[in-house]
Amino acid sequence: MSDLDKAIAQLRACRPIPEAQVRELCHKARELLIEEGNVVTVTAPVTICGDIHGQFHDLMELFRVGGDVPDTNYLFMGDFVDRGFYSLESFLLLLCLKVRYPDRMTLIRGNHESRQITTVYGFYDECLRKYGSANVWRYCCDVFDYLALGAIVLGASNNMSPNPDSSETESDQDVEIEVCNADGQIMTQFSRKPRGRGGRGRSPNGATASATSNGIGPAVPGGPINSGPPGSGASGYSGGSVGNPAGAVLCVHGGLSPLIDTVDKIRLLDRKQEVPHEGAMCDLLWSDPDEIDGWGLSPRGAGFLFGADIVRVFNHRNDLSLIARAHQLVMEGFKEMFSASIVTVWSAPNYCYRCGNVAALLELSEDDSGLGIFARSNGDVGRSDGNGGNGPRGVLMENDPSEPKSGPARRYRVFQAAPQDSRGMPAKKPVADYFL
Amino acid sequence: MSAPTIPNLLSLRGSSRGSGRSSGRGRGGSSASSLSASGPGHDATIQATDTDAAVSRLSAVEMGYLQDPFASLFVQPAPPGPSNRRLPIINRGTYTRTTAIDAIVNHFLASTPNQRRQIVSLGAGTDTRALRLFSSNTYTNIAYHEIDFPAITQRKLHSVRASQHLRTVLTVTTPPLTPPPSSWTAASATSATNTLHCHGIDLRLLPAAGILPSLDPSLPTLLISECCLCYLAPAAASAVVAYFTSRLPRLGLVLYEPVKPNDPFGRMMVSNLAARRIEMPTLDVFLLPADQERRLQQAGFDIVRHMTIDKVWEKWVATEEKERVDGLEGLDEVEEWLLLAGHYIVAWGWRGDGFELPGT
Repeated sequence: MSDLDKAIAQLRACRPIPEAQVRELCHKARELLIEEGNVVTVTAPVTICGDIHGQFHDLMELFRVGGDVPDTNYLFMGDFVDRGFYSLESFLLLLCLKVRYPDRMTLIRGNHESRQITTVYGFYDECLRKYGSANVWRYCCDVFDYLALGAIVLGASNNMSPNPDSSETESDQDVEIEVCNADGQIMTQFSRKPRGRGGRGRSPNGATASATSNGIGPAVPGGPINSGPPGSGASGYSGGSVGNPAGAVLCVHGGLSPLIDTVDKIRLLDRKQEVPHEGAMCDLLWSDPDEIDGWGLSPRGAGFLFGADIVRVFNHRNDLSLIARAHQLVMEGFKEMFSASIVTVWSAPNYCYRCGNVAALLELSEDDSGLGIFARSNGDVGRSDGNGGNGPRGVLMENDPSEPKSGPARRYRVFQAAPQDSRGMPAKKPVADYFL
Repeated sequence: MSAPTIPNLLSLRGSSRGSGRSSGRGRGGSSASSLSASGPGHDATIQATDTDAAVSRLSAVEMGYLQDPFASLFVQPAPPGPSNRRLPIINRGTYTRTTAIDAIVNHFLASTPNQRRQIVSLGAGTDTRALRLFSSNTYTNIAYHEIDFPAITQRKLHSVRASQHLRTVLTVTTPPLTPPPSSWTAASATSATNTLHCHGIDLRLLPAAGILPSLDPSLPTLLISECCLCYLAPAAASAVVAYFTSRLPRLGLVLYEPVKPNDPFGRMMVSNLAARRIEMPTLDVFLLPADQERRLQQAGFDIVRHMTIDKVWEKWVATEEKERVDGLEGLDEVEEWLLLAGHYIVAWGWRGDGFELPGT
């Protein structure tokens, strides 16, 4: 058993590894991460996760529900640390797994992966408590500076992969969204509806609310305004990879920036630094979608709020079918907005041991139809973006109105907080503060 | 870091609420049996919530949210190591609730100039509001009554006597006795018409007691329950309110309490507090903000208002002040703030002539 495997075993038991080992691990991780671009390209199948926030036992529950590494290909969208009691063990385990299985683990940076934020929200104090010095905190912060800012998922299928835990043997070709519980049982399914039948907005957790006519382009003549599936250019909805059955998915911790209109512009940023207080890099980690037109000021004091129109234009210009992001607590674990052009995934159940929410992870399955070829050209490094649908893909879309599908099939697995004493691991009695 | 017995979060969810309802625990019970069931252990737990509030207040003061030169006088100095610093979300909550009640108190005092008026603070504990009022000298002619367990009021007297700083604000008028009395009085050192009256009495015994010393039923009076009546059994809480409504014709009441125990956040709150052996029996009766308004109406208040704490922050804190407070630490916990602050309410009502409380 290698030292790395030993460290993984120790961290899986929620026991910190010695300082010298942390130093070595962080050094290796940095060497690995420095080679990654600001936007990592990931190929489906992939399981996308939101905030973890040091809730180690719930991270173990996440692996139980989503499958273990390296069997499952994971993409974590940041905020590994702060708030929970086990930021150190959670982050170091993820980092070990990254070093051990670099192609099966993608870690991108959240706004809490920052020196300033971790001194306020717990990670700094935790390192000090567990090691007696701030060295380990410093090693980790140096790794934070090298984490990618985003990821592009290519080759995600429009068809729901068969659910191994379901008794149904054949996958339903029309299922767009499937919600499973922690045991894999299907709780709800949402089918795609052919264009022009008013079928959008059936998505759970809020997609309906966002199916608005606000600033959205021409609808299918004669059809209801919110009739088109996301990505159908005819309806003007978001998801620019129109006619592309397996459009790219952009993953980022917070959201969009007024300074960034193409994915390529993210690639040009100098990311190897502390998260700045403003600017494009800050916005990607801090912004939130909101029911507004255009851009708005964020109540967080960093980043911006952005509306459905912003997402629609961005996705169209960049041939994206979906933006997956984290950053905001959602009580149901996930929330699709703006005609399913953007989804929030939240993976910290009972956040801060106080919020009573469930968590979710998002599975995108592999496209095996062959049509995914188109998709694979979408987000590739070096590809020139920004010609917004003028290319052959747009032509394909317009010539092929019979293709109603767009946006990848999305399976959400919803899970609850792990009982803290369930695995014989050390666990601190959760004490949540209230206004007493 | 060994793991002793850790409560299973999932199982706690269901069971604690049931036991809370049936055992009638809380600061008070409606019958002798529930009084004995609650026992001194539970009283101590509830008294400890005052320490929690005092530590939160000091944290908010040290971080610059609030100005309160008296906050540190009632908190044990933190041991070396991690301090008593609270997270920004708690600091903002402490700030907002204090601001809300201060605003209502100030409105009351501003509407009753040139006359004597009373404030009665239930379960005041180590609250510093009277000290802040007296030292600011903005208002005079205030009789400020605090009611709490005798052990608490005794300790407060000790703190007041021991602090040089407090001696410049308060002159204790009760003679030094051994053992120290649980009920005592003091006057503002700068304005003798401002008087403090501490009554050491278990609130559950108040309804059976006579009129409190120095309480003048004819004066306009504002009753404050800042997270106090919620620890009593519903009947005991109503009896305390009725004690005042039956005697004082010109009366206002301001309540600060949790609400919405039945949504996912609320259920977790109840279960987490139960794990700390804190129960809030009235929460089962006054579930929603509308229930609190109805409660005040039924208690005989003509005009009733309420705001959740997130709304207080939104509406009552001026834009520049919001910017100042946000600038102190930043608050990344926006969604959590809305959840937590949305589960606390300030409700107030009043009746009688010659004074008023604010609208929302």
